Amino acid sequence: MERNQVRQSFYQRYREKFGHLSWYKRYEFLLPLVLIIFILGFFLPVARPANACGWFLILFFILFVLLWVIGVLADAEKPRWLRAIAAIGLIFVFALCFYRYSGARWDLFTRTFLNPSMLQGAWSELLLGLEMTLKLAFVSMVISTLLGLIIAVMRSFKNPILEFFLVIYIDFFRAIPLIVLLVFVYYALPFLGIALDPYLAAILAVSLNYSAYVAEVFRSGIESIHRAQVEAARSLGLRPLQAMRLVILPQAVRVVVPPLTGLMVALLKDTALATIIGLPELLYKGIQTMIWKANPTPLVTVALIYILVLLPLTRFSSYLEKRSKKWVKSAR
Amino acid sequence: MGEERQVMIETVDLHKYFKDHHVLKGINAKVFKGEVVAIIGPSGAGKSTFLRCINRLEEPSSGKILIEGVDITSPRVDINKIRSEIGFVFQSYNLFPHLTAIENIKLAPVHVRKIPEKEAEQRGLELLKKVGLEEKAHAYPDQLSGGQQQRVAIARALAMQPHMVFFDEPTSALDPEMIREVLDVMQNLAAEGMTMIVVSHELGFIRAAASRVLVLADGCIIEEGTPNELFNSPKHPRTKEFLSKIL
Repeated sequence: MERNQVRQSFYQRYREKFGHLSWYKRYEFLLPLVLIIFILGFFLPVARPANACGWFLILFFILFVLLWVIGVLADAEKPRWLRAIAAIGLIFVFALCFYRYSGARWDLFTRTFLNPSMLQGAWSELLLGLEMTLKLAFVSMVISTLLGLIIAVMRSFKNPILEFFLVIYIDFFRAIPLIVLLVFVYYALPFLGIALDPYLAAILAVSLNYSAYVAEVFRSGIESIHRAQVEAARSLGLRPLQAMRLVILPQAVRVVVPPLTGLMVALLKDTALATIIGLPELLYKGIQTMIWKANPTPLVTVALIYILVLLPLTRFSSYLEKRSKKWVKSAR
Repeated sequence: MGEERQVMIETVDLHKYFKDHHVLKGINAKVFKGEVVAIIGPSGAGKSTFLRCINRLEEPSSGKILIEGVDITSPRVDINKIRSEIGFVFQSYNLFPHLTAIENIKLAPVHVRKIPEKEAEQRGLELLKKVGLEEKAHAYPDQLSGGQQQRVAIARALAMQPHMVFFDEPTSALDPEMIREVLDVMQNLAAEGMTMIVVSHELGFIRAAASRVLVLADGCIIEEGTPNELFNSPKHPRTKEFLSKIL
């Protein structure tokens, strides 16, 4: 017995002393946090380590942080502020380690990719490009939505001959890569006597491509409306197209709007492919400016502009999705 | 009813197949003006199919259906015109969930009968009053109870001022305490002299309102008669068996 007591480790003696205190039990998990901050401040190398020992220390440190953060985040009973600290701390540690040890030349990086002086005189060009992108996207959105809607409604008639051709149309335009279609429309159609300028060619290609996707989305929306709704409408004497317009479509649209906004986001992004046929849209202008300045900053700027335009749209589409889930539930 | 009773609906040797399944095996039936005909029978007997064939929600496989003397199976007939004269009330109400009660009711009058919006609204409100739901005019179907939805559905069918109304098990999907309110509306309608075909197992309602009962089993009419005759002294063994189960 006595021997055992003598052999008690430092940790065991320490637990015995404090372990029964309620306040200690409550905040014991903060100890590793203190340890982490301590190591971070005093022991971690400040620059790229020269030997394997340094790398091991870093690796061990990251692993330790990771384990602690997972432990904290997995426990839903831990206070919210602590879980927030754990999450932010993890990101901070990763960023710090990358910044310190990746060996990146940050000054060079900034000068090359994030150099505002390389945008002098280029803004007007980029904005012209943005305008072209938005114009192309908007016109294509309208055309592809209308075309897709018409196709979906025609498919709902279940006419086998019509169905055959529409399925070929949809499959073809869903299977062909947009970039190939663009090239085909712009470079090959002139041989058939249809010569389009890049703007019209891009509108045609994007609209055809996306009308096929839109048609599928609308079809699934129309099919999601119960057959009994059609029967109720027809039993009142409504004609098939009236039943479609007054009863089916208003319900289908509510189902379809979230996936449709998702498609429209993808459409806007895909307009960048029109660069290949020389349409002066945002990406094209970005590449031109990059060549003119012999610096990639304009391209980074273009990427940021795309993100800035698309972020609200993607948020909007998630919002619609959430709302429509609620609506669909209450409608059943 | 007078002596020269007008035939509203007549079916002649009506057959219906679903693929190989022979559902209706030659139904001959007549419904006169102002009659309330109840159809009873075990499940799977073809009651609903029969009703749905009469306004061609199901295409009959062979036979004739005469509505007010017109054979509606003929391809020259505009079925939408015929349907607009026949009200249909479904088991599961089938209200349009994106429209309010009053919008549900005036949809068909406005778009089929081309009645002005205002007038249709006025008549719709009167109908809602008749089924006791005038204060629910602007409620959506999901805000109404099952019984209320079914009453709106009846009002919707009546808005077209049909010559006859079909009811396909109108109370089967309802909670017991809501059945009464729907049956009351139907009973008032019967008292007003509306021609009705009702598929239902509400024997109380049938006794009170029906002028005739048809018993359907295995796609055939096996017996018919007034409710009293039929319930008190059924002749066909299958009728006896069926009634013993639901009484």
